[in-house]
Amino acid sequence: MRIVSFLEDTAGSAKKIFSKFSIEGKIGVCGIALIVAIAILAPLISGYSPAKITGGSLEAPSSTHLLGTDELGMDIWSQICYGARMSLFIGLAVALIAGIGGGALGILAGCLGGTVDQLLMRSVDILLALPSFPLLIVISAFMGPSIFNVILILVFFSWAKPARIIRSQTLSIKTNTYITAAKNFGATPFYLLRRHILPEVLPVLFVSIISITSYAIIAETGLAFLGLGDPTSKSWGMMLHYATGFKSIYFTPFWQWWLIPPLVALIFLLLCLAFIGRDLEQVLDPRLRQAGGA
Amino acid sequence: MQMTKSDKQEIIFRFALTLLVLLALNFLLPRMMPGDPFSTTSSDVQGEEVVVMTQEQREYYTHYYGLDLPQHEQFVVYLSNLAHGDLGQSIYYKMPVTRVILLHLPWTILIVLCATALSLLIGVTLGMISARNRKKGSDRIMMAFLISFAEIPSFLLGIIILLIFGVYLHMFPLAGAVTPFAHYNSVFDQAGDIAYHAALPILTLSLAQLTGVYLLTRNSLISVSTKDYIRTARAKGLGEHIVWTRHALKNALLPVVTRTGFMIGILMGGAVLVENVFSYPGIGSTLNSAVVGRDYPLIQGILLVVAVAILVCNLLVDRVYRHLDPRVGE
Repeated sequence: MRIVSFLEDTAGSAKKIFSKFSIEGKIGVCGIALIVAIAILAPLISGYSPAKITGGSLEAPSSTHLLGTDELGMDIWSQICYGARMSLFIGLAVALIAGIGGGALGILAGCLGGTVDQLLMRSVDILLALPSFPLLIVISAFMGPSIFNVILILVFFSWAKPARIIRSQTLSIKTNTYITAAKNFGATPFYLLRRHILPEVLPVLFVSIISITSYAIIAETGLAFLGLGDPTSKSWGMMLHYATGFKSIYFTPFWQWWLIPPLVALIFLLLCLAFIGRDLEQVLDPRLRQAGGA
Repeated sequence: MQMTKSDKQEIIFRFALTLLVLLALNFLLPRMMPGDPFSTTSSDVQGEEVVVMTQEQREYYTHYYGLDLPQHEQFVVYLSNLAHGDLGQSIYYKMPVTRVILLHLPWTILIVLCATALSLLIGVTLGMISARNRKKGSDRIMMAFLISFAEIPSFLLGIIILLIFGVYLHMFPLAGAVTPFAHYNSVFDQAGDIAYHAALPILTLSLAQLTGVYLLTRNSLISVSTKDYIRTARAKGLGEHIVWTRHALKNALLPVVTRTGFMIGILMGGAVLVENVFSYPGIGSTLNSAVVGRDYPLIQGILLVVAVAILVCNLLVDRVYRHLDPRVGE
């Protein structure tokens, strides 16, 4: 029963948040829903396996191959469909692990203070000062290209930001008098966390999870573009890598159906995420709401 | 915000600590990579000419490059060489790493600095136009467009720009930094050729950074424009243009200065990918080929140069900022 009512609550508040979104935000939600649907239904709508040779090399788009084929004769539309899985999976996995992990560390640092806090914030400072992309390239080259490694590296580089934001949020919540009052009434730390800190912190965490998702998708694409992605996967970044790596692609019409689809798909996905992130920030953050988004 | 001595020490301590972590990472990472520099010793990128070494040759080279020493001894050697400005010998290019870097770094510096200047120029101009027309339609449209535009990562933007201007319109070259085997009649000819090849990478990088500058200028100008001295300037009878440029803009640019330092850092990182899009022979393309060729010393050298450049930029910005704003600092 509790689960049902919880789900109803969540659905209700999601509906409420959605109704406050701007037109762009609504487009973003619909766009993401579309991409998720494509990713889930990939085997049904693609028609071909993305890794099987099903046609001639570099065929132009036609009724048999909606977006044509690549140099090995693999269907590009089905690569786009299955590639959506990769991008979404990597983006969400990194964002959830880094967001929740970083958030938990941030709350921990904010609540405990002292040496733990010092140590954690010191590492956050260093991590944020390191030039992440050149390091990403080198680390992923050394770890070897696999989806798991890419996720691990991206998590390592993206937990610091939410940790810092959540820590400062926790610290500012802790100074409120109602926390002191609750403590005087004998509230346990766990109760304070659940009743007062988490509800305040979660919206902020949610916004940073969305921004990490785009960061992770961009970083994965960049690594794959350089040839450091998982070679067995057909992510959109790998498609860019193979297409731009094809000799004289710019002197032939092949780029029109080989390079443009992953490019458009990626930009569409990133824009949708950005629209959602921006609107969520405005709806969930009370301070921005008061400012009227000006 | 008073800058005390302990704050200063804190900044330098953080800088040193970050540098140390970087050096340690820089040293350890390439050594943990799979494969070794002698597994593919070929003379060209395509790997068509693979020279297979005998066991003896391999052992000889492992000893020659000091790769058979224990890790901590290698680290000490690395640090002491570094102190002498010696970054080692590139295994792939067969010359000192410093020379490889010096050959390619100028191209990266060229496009990064030009892109910084261009994005500052356009960003500040647009920001001022937007702030002066605040709450009007043109401001809203410009802001919505630029914010969405900023979500496109620089290398995807680079591919689009390459497709439009290089492939479709044939206006700019597809790759390289100079026309191969060209003979120049004058210095201007040469400069023209370099500018012609650098145009697209610079355009890409500056467009990617434009929105940050634009938003910062706009918001900073809007908050400055409510200050008393702006009203005083207007009351003195100064023209609207002078009020905005001399009084408002001058004060609004302080946060933009801070941003510039971070921007150069981000651009250095972005250049790594963008250079690969345009096959521009800067340090990013070199890093990519060094990773492919497992050229440890070169990877270390490039990472170090890029990272230190970024750290120093951030440190410098702090200095410049305190110089510009007398309220900060002693």
